[in-house]
Amino acid sequence: MAQATPLEANFRNSEDRAEKKRLRREGFVPGVLYGKTTESKAVSVPNVAFIKTMREAGRNGIVELNFDNGAKHKVIVNDVQTDSLKDTYEHIDFFEVDLTQDMDADVTVNLVGEAPGEKEGGVVSHLQFTLSVRALPEEIPEQIEVDISELNIGDSIFVSDLKSDKTFEFNADPEEAVVTVVPADVPVEEELDTDAAAEPELVGDDSAEETTEDNE
Amino acid sequence: MLMPKRVKFRRQHRGRMRGRAKGGNEVTFGEYGIQATEASWITNRQIEAARIAMTRYMKRTGKVWIKIFPDKPYTAKPLEVRMGSGKGSPEGWVAVVKPGKIMFEIAGVDEEVAREALRLASHKLPVKTKFVKREEVGGEANES
Repeated sequence: MAQATPLEANFRNSEDRAEKKRLRREGFVPGVLYGKTTESKAVSVPNVAFIKTMREAGRNGIVELNFDNGAKHKVIVNDVQTDSLKDTYEHIDFFEVDLTQDMDADVTVNLVGEAPGEKEGGVVSHLQFTLSVRALPEEIPEQIEVDISELNIGDSIFVSDLKSDKTFEFNADPEEAVVTVVPADVPVEEELDTDAAAEPELVGDDSAEETTEDNE
Repeated sequence: MLMPKRVKFRRQHRGRMRGRAKGGNEVTFGEYGIQATEASWITNRQIEAARIAMTRYMKRTGKVWIKIFPDKPYTAKPLEVRMGSGKGSPEGWVAVVKPGKIMFEIAGVDEEVAREALRLASHKLPVKTKFVKREEVGGEANES
């Protein structure tokens, strides 16, 4: 398996908000390093270097954090918080891995090929964008490729249909559908009706009941 | 037209639209989406107009998800009525949208088609929007 991708990192002195803001302004991403036997430590990594490392190593790739004091930690990126409007990283969780122990990871599912059902008017419905697998940290696949070139309308590929070599196993239910080809919805092209202010019924509106009681 | 089937109260306070969307700020069902970059009320008519614009452009291909629901009634007073005498009558339904909210998602079409469909849809909406796609860590969108 590939070697761990190196990434320079620094320990953070303070955990307050102002410090994190300053780091982000200066092109760093604050984060935290932890593991089963590692005490939690506040760290920061350069933003651009982190993006390059992730492209090289992949989402579940092993990264070696190199600190100023010579400390080295083999980690995977456990969680990333992003600013969805600015598309920037806010915070990263680095999880120190034990290379001898199995661990769970979510792996991206990639669809390969073109489904014949799509040409017949169907829509490929990608139901599982990631699948949970269990493997040694170095054996976690970068992605799971699913060949859809034989899918007609109404056909599905289930987790049980996917090939898993002996290096990893799927955690997901074998009966779970990963991708399916469904008939296209017939677009409803109705005109804008004028019932925009039509009133829905009120919950607990017992006026009707009251009138019946009065009659009794 | 989208509106609730049952409600607890006929009228609501207008409220404030401060802060950002707490949830619904990631592409979850489809591959592409449009994200609001400012806050506004979106009426059920606008949602319907955007949906029709999108589906018409995509013809019969692809799938569309509407991720906002107009569950807030808005009221208005009739024309030439003096102030007072209580709150107006319900006139329609709106969805409260804050910056960051993914309003529509699309799957099953090429990026070019998705971009154009969502551009057409965005012209029916009262907010500035941006095109977003399902992203991975280290993807292009995070370069800025």
